[in-house]
Amino acid sequence: MEKQVFDFGINTTRRHFLSKLSLGLGSAALGSLLIPDIFKGSGESDMNDLVAGLPHFAPKAKRVIYLFQNGAPSQLDLFDYKPMLNKMHGEDLPESIRGGQRLTGMTANQAKFPLAGSVFNFKQHGKSGAWMSELLPHMASIADDLCIIKTLNTEAINHDPALTFFQTGAQVGNRPSMGSWLSYGLGSENQNLPGFCVLLSRGKGNGQGVYSKLWTNGFLDSVHQGVQFSSGENPVLYLNDPEGMDRSQRRNMLDKLSELNQGTYEDFGDPEITAKVQQYEMAFRMQTAVPEITDMSKEPESIVKMYGPECLVPGTYAANCLLARKLSEQGVRFIQLYHQGWDSHGGLPNEIKGQCMDVDQASAALITDLKQRGLLDETLVIWGGEFGRTNYCQGTLTKDNYGRDHHPRAFTVWMAGGGIKPGVVYGETDEFGYNIVKDPVHVHDFHATILNQLGLDHEKLVFKHQGRRYRLTDVAGKLVNGIIA
Amino acid sequence: MDSSSKPSQNNWKGLFYNIAFFLNGLLLFLLLFESRFSVPYWMQAIGRMHPLVLHFPLVVLMLYAFWVLIVDKPDSVRWNSNLSDLLLLIGTFTAVVAAFSGFILSKEDGYESNTLFWHKWMGVAISVGSIAWYGFRTYLTPWKLSSKFFAAGFLLLLTIGGHLGGNLTHGEDFLISPVADLSTEENKIPLEEAKIYADLVQPVLQQKCYACHNAEKSKGGLQMQTIELLVKGGKSGALWDTTRADLGLLLNRIHLPLDDKKHMSPRGKAQLTDEEVVLLAEWIKMGSDFDQMVSSLSEQSPVYAYAQNVLGGGRTEEQYDFDAADADKVKELNTTYRLIKSLSAESPALFVNFYNRTNFKSKDIEDLLALKEQIVSMDLSKMPVKDEDLKIIARFPELRKLILNFTDIKGETLGELQKLAKLRELSISGTSVRITQVKKLKEIPSLKRVYVWSTGLSTEEFALLKKEKKVSYETGYRSDTIKLALNPPIIENEDQIISGNTAIRLKHQIPGTTIRYTVDGSDPDSVHSLVYSKPVTIDKNTKLKAKAFKNGWYGSKGVDKYFFRSTYHIDSVRLITPPDVKYPAQRDITIANGVKSDNSPSSGKWLGYRENDFQAYLLFKKPVKAHNVTLSMLRNVGGFIFPPVRVEVWGGKDEKNLKLLKVLTPEMPVQTTGNVENLSLEADFALQELSCIKLIAKPLAKLPLWHPGKGEKAWVFVDEVFVN
Repeated sequence: MEKQVFDFGINTTRRHFLSKLSLGLGSAALGSLLIPDIFKGSGESDMNDLVAGLPHFAPKAKRVIYLFQNGAPSQLDLFDYKPMLNKMHGEDLPESIRGGQRLTGMTANQAKFPLAGSVFNFKQHGKSGAWMSELLPHMASIADDLCIIKTLNTEAINHDPALTFFQTGAQVGNRPSMGSWLSYGLGSENQNLPGFCVLLSRGKGNGQGVYSKLWTNGFLDSVHQGVQFSSGENPVLYLNDPEGMDRSQRRNMLDKLSELNQGTYEDFGDPEITAKVQQYEMAFRMQTAVPEITDMSKEPESIVKMYGPECLVPGTYAANCLLARKLSEQGVRFIQLYHQGWDSHGGLPNEIKGQCMDVDQASAALITDLKQRGLLDETLVIWGGEFGRTNYCQGTLTKDNYGRDHHPRAFTVWMAGGGIKPGVVYGETDEFGYNIVKDPVHVHDFHATILNQLGLDHEKLVFKHQGRRYRLTDVAGKLVNGIIA
Repeated sequence: MDSSSKPSQNNWKGLFYNIAFFLNGLLLFLLLFESRFSVPYWMQAIGRMHPLVLHFPLVVLMLYAFWVLIVDKPDSVRWNSNLSDLLLLIGTFTAVVAAFSGFILSKEDGYESNTLFWHKWMGVAISVGSIAWYGFRTYLTPWKLSSKFFAAGFLLLLTIGGHLGGNLTHGEDFLISPVADLSTEENKIPLEEAKIYADLVQPVLQQKCYACHNAEKSKGGLQMQTIELLVKGGKSGALWDTTRADLGLLLNRIHLPLDDKKHMSPRGKAQLTDEEVVLLAEWIKMGSDFDQMVSSLSEQSPVYAYAQNVLGGGRTEEQYDFDAADADKVKELNTTYRLIKSLSAESPALFVNFYNRTNFKSKDIEDLLALKEQIVSMDLSKMPVKDEDLKIIARFPELRKLILNFTDIKGETLGELQKLAKLRELSISGTSVRITQVKKLKEIPSLKRVYVWSTGLSTEEFALLKKEKKVSYETGYRSDTIKLALNPPIIENEDQIISGNTAIRLKHQIPGTTIRYTVDGSDPDSVHSLVYSKPVTIDKNTKLKAKAFKNGWYGSKGVDKYFFRSTYHIDSVRLITPPDVKYPAQRDITIANGVKSDNSPSSGKWLGYRENDFQAYLLFKKPVKAHNVTLSMLRNVGGFIFPPVRVEVWGGKDEKNLKLLKVLTPEMPVQTTGNVENLSLEADFALQELSCIKLIAKPLAKLPLWHPGKGEKAWVFVDEVFVN
């Protein structure tokens, strides 16, 4: 065999070699015509380039603002109008409707499941004729900008797994959050700011915790982690230089530091080192970019009236909405708000009033504000909780007071802008508001659709970790074409 | 080769030849009496073998024909003749099997058309031709010119016959449709201009119905190619009837089971998809209007959704006809303050965003001219862009979207933008442009939307712009007519306990707000109350109340805070009666630790009493000159926490020598009293030296009748005591 190889070597003439070579080249050239991307460089690591990803196809939306209503608002008192519940107020939920649904420990032992009609009045709004209750006058006024999905459904029945599922596509922790996936897939637009910001606020209703695992980067690179803004006067802490230190000293310090880091990188080749250097550099640029953004004093009075006067009180939902708009305007890819206090197991009519007072005006204002700046087209705004609330009462039912337990089978979320059809009510629930009768949207479908709006194919946005490829949508998810404009 | 096997091999050959001959005869016979022939059910399986068998003769005969074409010397033939004969025989035999099964298959439903006619006869010709070739192979020697013509003709026959067969199963334009689609894609009609019939319904009829319902071949007397004929219907009558539940004949036939003879389109033919059926049904339901536009439908209509799928919308990207820019150039021009990026991985188009006002220079735009063929969108909001800069921007011919919100432009040079022939969207919100300049924008040829919110334009000018048809103007939210209540001001001091002159600072986040306040417990009003201009200095127990006022707003709700004066540090406290086990706080030290609680009963800083009185000694190491004792207590009506019915303050040298200094009987809440408040109960007495003070506070024994807990005992809560 070795001899044959040797003979082949010495017996090959130049002419022979060139003619074979030209054939080979020709076939490769033809092949490359058929597979255009084949010779595009892809082996180069994009670790040292923070402007990493590009969308797979032309995106409708460039940014997302997710107004998460933590604790799960009652869809039956806000969006999903069910007169049948008022008619049957106090009667037991038929077992045929409940259909063996798993219940939380809070109502599993209840002897009866008395149906509770909403105490609030509903009306239809806008050209779409969307039903909304009197609690949401501002959102009602922009009904034609909203796509109200009544048929979201999830698998989890308790807050932590449900919230984690919505944020990361899995009920257990440690997977990357949606914002981290987007930061990984699309990179940051404005390199002077983090690509994924988190803003927290809390209402007076019964609250549920939020924790940093919800904005974790999971197994993705740490630059994709969500940055939590503080709810005080200084949204980003420790951004100011210490007294007596000026910008040039800081610059010198960073230059020297990065020289040292570069040396270490050359020795060990650990990409986390370059990531760290870039984080330092971003922090340096944030020192000028952040104060510019968080300064609310230049907002015109019409804006203050639009979001409501609370918007200038740091840490409120209204202030966070306004800040979200400003961050989004400056190219922050994903802004995650959480507003706590929707978990009304008892005394719902009273609690929900306060919660709606907190969020109604500012949520609507955010849409109107983006619209008047010409940014709504490229910004996807999402409003909703981790699940819905039951149509039956938890605890004692009276004529005007009730509580509602967690309900995963059908609940309402709305979206606006970002290439989502405006003025649409999507999906239907049965007359008890318990089960979906038309167009269900699972959390995975919801994720797939969001990614699609940002120009990402949810099946292609993958990261290989511990020997398997992970996706935000796990192994499921299909586009909800009915809501895509 | 073993000689003994030779005769048997020849026998085999003979047998196959004979069977082939027999089958050809049978085939011709059946063809002759085709009209009287109906396929017995057991033979259908033979018919359906056609697709399986047909590829053998096709390939084998082509091979043979090619061989005949390239052979030039008798010499080589001898060498190959055994093999070539066998090849032709296999071809001949399989050809007749294929033709025969094909004939039987053709008797099944759904294959009646011109194509079938030609395919059938060519198949027969191939079968008969090949057996003739085999029979005369010794005369048709391959090196003869006539043989070569024969072979060439045969190849042509095989190609065309095969292709027609392909058309039958896969559809007429199966072969070239991928190529044909490319050329038609460009001509897709935009959704706004599409008609329901011409652009949605007709193409479906064309694909699925015309083949049998046309001028030449009107099955069931129905022709569908013109509107008149379609309306006329066929032998069985009109195609639709909206008064019937099934919407008439057309949909009735479509909905019949596939096995039904009358099901349309016939079994074996391309079937309508579910979406197409819905389209036809909806169109008929809407009155089968031949001119109705898709755009007249609501977006929820299933026909609209169908149109979006067929005509685009969804994921179709705008097609750009320019080449991608040099990647190195893009990289070079990217800075941390100027982002240049492709719209998507496949797109040659670029967008540019600018950040950070302080670093911006006009040159930053000018540098981009190197990429002017690719930049389709530019976001300059909040950058100090001047009017002159628009002249540079006008040199980017591919711009579709331009955002100039809150830039420094005055609008003098907006006319320059007319050079941007492709500009569709322009945002100039928050700039000081004027109406005369804005009105001229409609001369930009492609412009569709302009955002002019928060410019200096008046309501009347906005109304004027709204009349414009070609361009739509987004004027945004106006606040002039809206009057909201202000939020209350903020009392910045956190510590409620003061030990001397203390400055109280108030603030409000909304600029230009007037804060008015009182220190006498009265409600502030917008006329008489003091205006806050500098910190308020207080030195005694004070309830400070404040409200905010501003033109164009309703006054805020009041905010108040009680400031407790604490002159003397109480050295120690001894509780005579123990607090309730649920609210022990820190027991003895609770009321003199200088820590105020908030109004939450469960803060752990309140001492709670219900079953017995609150009684405590306050002890001083050195006598103090006092004239006042103040108790900070809680009222929480809903939580059964009421003020004490009676407070006694005793004082003296020590525990044994006390005299009653003051008795308070606080006002009891009534039904209308606010639920929660931090109370300050002040006991004033003549100035005297004291080393020991004894306090007694009695809880209410029976809650009043209006209270949900009527008749039950009330609580008393205390968190701090001050001696002045």
